[in-house]
Amino acid sequence: MTDAVRIDDASYETQRTAQERRKLLAPWILMLPALVIVLVFFGIPTVYMVRMSFNLHMDQRLYVPGFTFEHYVNLFSNPLFTNAILTTIKLALVASLATVVIGYAFALLVWLKPARWRLLFIGLALAPLLISEIAIIFGWWMFFPKNGLLSYGLLSAGLIHEKISLMYTEFAAFVGLVYVTLPYCFFILLSIFDGIDKRLLEASADLGASPLKTFREVMLPLTWTGILVAFSQSFIWTMGTYATPSALGPDTLWTMGFLIQEQMLGKHNWPMASALAVVLVIGVAAVMVVTRSMQSERTSFHV
Amino acid sequence: MSDVAPRGAEPLVLKVLALAFTVFIVGYILVPILVTVAMSFNDAAMIRFPINVWSMKWYADFFGSPQWMDALENSILIAIGTAAISTTSGVLCAWAFQRFHIPFRDMWYILIMMPLFMPGVVLGLGVAIAFGGISIGGYAFYGSRELVMLAHSLWAMPLVFMLMEATFKTIDYRIVEASYDLGGGPVRTFFEVVLPLVSTGIVSSLLFAFVISLNEFVMALFLTDRDTQTLPVLMWLSLRSAGTPRLAVASVILALTVFTCLTVIMLWYIRQLRKVAR
Repeated sequence: MTDAVRIDDASYETQRTAQERRKLLAPWILMLPALVIVLVFFGIPTVYMVRMSFNLHMDQRLYVPGFTFEHYVNLFSNPLFTNAILTTIKLALVASLATVVIGYAFALLVWLKPARWRLLFIGLALAPLLISEIAIIFGWWMFFPKNGLLSYGLLSAGLIHEKISLMYTEFAAFVGLVYVTLPYCFFILLSIFDGIDKRLLEASADLGASPLKTFREVMLPLTWTGILVAFSQSFIWTMGTYATPSALGPDTLWTMGFLIQEQMLGKHNWPMASALAVVLVIGVAAVMVVTRSMQSERTSFHV
Repeated sequence: MSDVAPRGAEPLVLKVLALAFTVFIVGYILVPILVTVAMSFNDAAMIRFPINVWSMKWYADFFGSPQWMDALENSILIAIGTAAISTTSGVLCAWAFQRFHIPFRDMWYILIMMPLFMPGVVLGLGVAIAFGGISIGGYAFYGSRELVMLAHSLWAMPLVFMLMEATFKTIDYRIVEASYDLGGGPVRTFFEVVLPLVSTGIVSSLLFAFVISLNEFVMALFLTDRDTQTLPVLMWLSLRSAGTPRLAVASVILALTVFTCLTVIMLWYIRQLRKVAR
């Protein structure tokens, strides 16, 4: 009798350890496909890219194995590259600021409007998100030039007397960039607004504050974190994007993304392209870290 | 008390401002869309306003061109592949995060989310460098549709993971426990109880991944060759040489594909809601 119990105990034990082991192993099996994708197609390429950025480039070959800081030195001394870095930062800064201002006003509008308008506006904001960047570029590409809709419209309205072209200007690049990033900003800010009690506005007005003062002292502090997140999001996005500024902007508007493509596909200089990409990634990471540290603990917001 | 609002005057100003802004934002978002749709029905070969003669000529041209139809086919195949790969891996991974204790949880979380924040040009470059000369059993991996699918999954999979992590949190776990108590193994429970519960999340994940892949062209530009290039890549390359109304048609076709999928999803949601109501 006691023997039987002992055997049962033993088999129960082995069963239990097997179960335990399975429990330990199960999450890894479930995570395996995702980890393979991230490690093989993101991890390994990143290591390769960093290594590549120290390789030599000569004799019109893609790269020659070696070790040199030449490309990084070049990156920070050659005016071609330093200008591109400055242009990228400047463009990202201005475009993100504009995106946040427009996105904020848009989100505020949707939040304040009666609910029946809401779905319509959200559908509108989704449009740029669902349309390919290339289609957006092409849309503006037909709007700005001399024979484009803008020129024709202004001419027919009698506002101008000669055809005008805004194509290949920094303004065109800027309009395109804001268009691409606006929906992200809008949805981040709308989600913040939705967490605010609208009665706060009435309370502030009842206490005698003007709309401007209510905005400055009630709305801004409550949405500050959202503004930061939206800003960093569009900054990261605009830093990395290159198609829109290079297609709509002037030929001199060389962003880092454009130079990466140019060095990789045009000049076949892989080490230089890699060095640019490494610096771009470091820039993106720096922006993320700075934004994270600027968010106060109390209002930390998860994206 | 200088800040006391003179009632009556300011709300009018605000109303006018709000109206002006509404007009601005609606115009801003609709302009490139309307321009594209109008141009796609242009008869002339030049991008030029005003449009004098309207026709479907460029649609016929698009559907008659093997190059553009191949690109469309590539785009759709790659998008389907991306949707399948990223939804499968993202759902499984989110389930692991929901149900199991994982050592160094935060580290894995950041690792999985990181590609989402990387510029496409960097991801494309990295994958092109790492897999540039690789062929498996004589089959060139570089330039293949599969490689583009996997590269697009770098963006799509973290999104699916994020979405499904939130979705799994909404399940009533008493149902899952009940399944275990009734003798359902973990695998059977997952497929027969959990997945039907989160079907809406899964369908949304598939849609997200599909749309991301269909529209993406920077990674695809680095990773495709002439035979596998996607529609956005072909559009980008033709835009650089010369723009014709054919590009407008391509834009419309791309957008229509996305909106068709959206409609299907909408119908699905409505059906699900009806089921719940019944």
